Amino acid sequence: MTVMVLADARDGRRVRITSVDLEGEAAAWLGAVGLHEGAELVVLRRAVLGGPLHVRSGGGGEFAVAREVAGLIRVVAIDGESERDRS
Amino acid sequence: MSADPSCHGAPASGARPSGTAPRDVEGTLTIALAGRPNSGKSSLYNALTGGDAHVGNYPGITVDILEGNVTLPSGAHAVIADLPGFYSVEATVDKATDEGVARAFLDTLKGSGRPLLVVQVLDPTRLALGLRLTAELLRAKLPLVVVLTHKDVLGREGHTVDVAALSDAIGAPVILVDARDRTTKAAVLAAVEDHHREAARAQGSGMLLDPARIARTVVKDVGNATELRRRRLTARLDSVLLHPIVGPVLFVGIMALLFAAVFLVADPAASLMDKLLGLARAQLAGLLGKNLFTSFLADGLLGGAGTVLAFMPQIVILTVALELLEASGYLARGAFLVDRLLRLLGLSGRSFLPLLMGHACAVPAIAATRIVRDPRERLTTILVLPLMTCSARLPTYGLVLATFFAHRSALFRSFVFVGLYFAGIATALVASLVLRRTATKGKGLPLVLEIPSYRVPQARVVARKAGQSARRFLRDVGTVIVATSAVLWVLLTVPMPGAKAGTDIERSVAATIGRTIEPVTRPAGFDWRIDVGLIGSFGAREVMVGTMGVIFGVENASDDPAPLTTRLREAKQSDGSSAYSTRTGLALLAFFVLACQCMSTVAAIRRETGSWRWPAFVVAYTYALGYVAAVLVYQVSAFFGVR
Repeated sequence: MTVMVLADARDGRRVRITSVDLEGEAAAWLGAVGLHEGAELVVLRRAVLGGPLHVRSGGGGEFAVAREVAGLIRVVAIDGESERDRS
Repeated sequence: MSADPSCHGAPASGARPSGTAPRDVEGTLTIALAGRPNSGKSSLYNALTGGDAHVGNYPGITVDILEGNVTLPSGAHAVIADLPGFYSVEATVDKATDEGVARAFLDTLKGSGRPLLVVQVLDPTRLALGLRLTAELLRAKLPLVVVLTHKDVLGREGHTVDVAALSDAIGAPVILVDARDRTTKAAVLAAVEDHHREAARAQGSGMLLDPARIARTVVKDVGNATELRRRRLTARLDSVLLHPIVGPVLFVGIMALLFAAVFLVADPAASLMDKLLGLARAQLAGLLGKNLFTSFLADGLLGGAGTVLAFMPQIVILTVALELLEASGYLARGAFLVDRLLRLLGLSGRSFLPLLMGHACAVPAIAATRIVRDPRERLTTILVLPLMTCSARLPTYGLVLATFFAHRSALFRSFVFVGLYFAGIATALVASLVLRRTATKGKGLPLVLEIPSYRVPQARVVARKAGQSARRFLRDVGTVIVATSAVLWVLLTVPMPGAKAGTDIERSVAATIGRTIEPVTRPAGFDWRIDVGLIGSFGAREVMVGTMGVIFGVENASDDPAPLTTRLREAKQSDGSSAYSTRTGLALLAFFVLACQCMSTVAAIRRETGSWRWPAFVVAYTYALGYVAAVLVYQVSAFFGVR
């Protein structure tokens, strides 16, 4: 499985967070929000000109995640097909 | 955020500003409503207390801790505190944020030894996310009852929750409710009192709690086509509203439509009120004759407070529109759309909500900056918030447009009106860019923001918000503006000792003061009458129109009553030439767009920043900008042939 950063995941791709390259407090807060190691996400879309990503968490929530933060979240694709491909 | 345009609104009855020590009632149980943003805390608070806590559909919407009294089934009294939404009690947070306030409240109460019980309000449609906070609350050894809200939504989504299994898994009582159900209050209070009475009973430690596994175990899918349809609808709505190109265009269009609606719908109401006031003044003069008391009633009170009253429809419409946008879930999407632009200017999408709220009133918007986690970004947002076009500016905008642009179409005037809003926004964005490179320099925290589901706003909640804003506006008119109008009438009637030249009013105390500063404001086209209005509105800009009403009421007391707009258009200087022109109107608008004429805002900035330095800075830079802009507009517009 190839590890990439969330910012590079294609729209519609299902991914699982493997690690978060943030310092203690920021990582802890992100984990409390729902973006923690092991959390499954679907990338729904991204805003133009380097704007945030819109992701849905397996826990039910949806989040806007700035591209800078998404660049610090390492993920792996958890299946071969994307949500978009299925629909 | 309260999307509440009623300026300087106090919290709802029984509310206590956050950050202060919890109520000191020994032995009285405090029930702290805790939970993630958008979990339904405020709705549950309303169900339990019948109070007026704001119900919003945006992360971190509750910024003041509201408090209400309830009677438990045993007859004992308890206090319910509605904490701001927060995600964690373990991750270290800035004390000035919503999370910091909630955490400080819990720590203070726990440390005081007073009876405390936490009711965690948890959205069962996002159970795994909410249980992470449950684990933290249990680890903090806080007595806990979990209340699952949105029972109706859960059912519509085709899910059920095994409440008993969930209770066993976490080791704390769990109940499932619909906040709108009349039985909810009794069920929650009974569960609270039972758990409080059995405080010695062992509670789960939260140590081995696995949120994802528990959620998978206790939530059952009972199959429901509605959920599939809802998801498809949400996906379709988002594919349009968050589309890379269409989304931003729609966003700007919705904002422009919002501001234009405020003008187009409310303009006829203001004209009607103006005519009614003219009639009322004539009636008063007919009934009581022309004497000093009639002048006080007609020119002082009616001319002042009555004129401002005409702008209530605009304020109510703005409240309703912002409430609809917020409760529907669109505002969080707006934050997603504008985040990149705001990042370029040193802010982020999190600042968007307070900045938009600032169009209603800067005071609650300044408190709402607590949802911004980055201290520098929060300070920057606070410092530029007074530039947003708050509802208190609307009376002056309306008066100037009706006076100097009456010959233009309503569409033209609405364009100017919307332009004033965007002028405020543009100035605020430029100011934030400058501030982030100077006074609040430093690296910012990028955006992570929960996006709530779309919801149909509750008519009852929207109507209540509209009623609140109308009442608060009436209270302002009935107190501050009536008092200011009365004082001003006296100052315009009593002659300045030693003053001899000119008419009665020109010899008055107020006119003498106005004339003293006239040389400074003359380059902006302002005469002593406008200057008196500006002095009167230093503390509250909504006073301006009332002040002008009093000045022109007293000045033309012997004439037939005419609407204020006509009196302004026909106003003369001492040499008989016209006192004002369209250029004066434009300069006055420029000043009002920029100057922070609001002591309530100054006090709010002092409270949030803990220093007089920043409010002083805001007053200085906005007044300087306002003066320079007014002079520039007045002088430059002459080159473009504006008369």
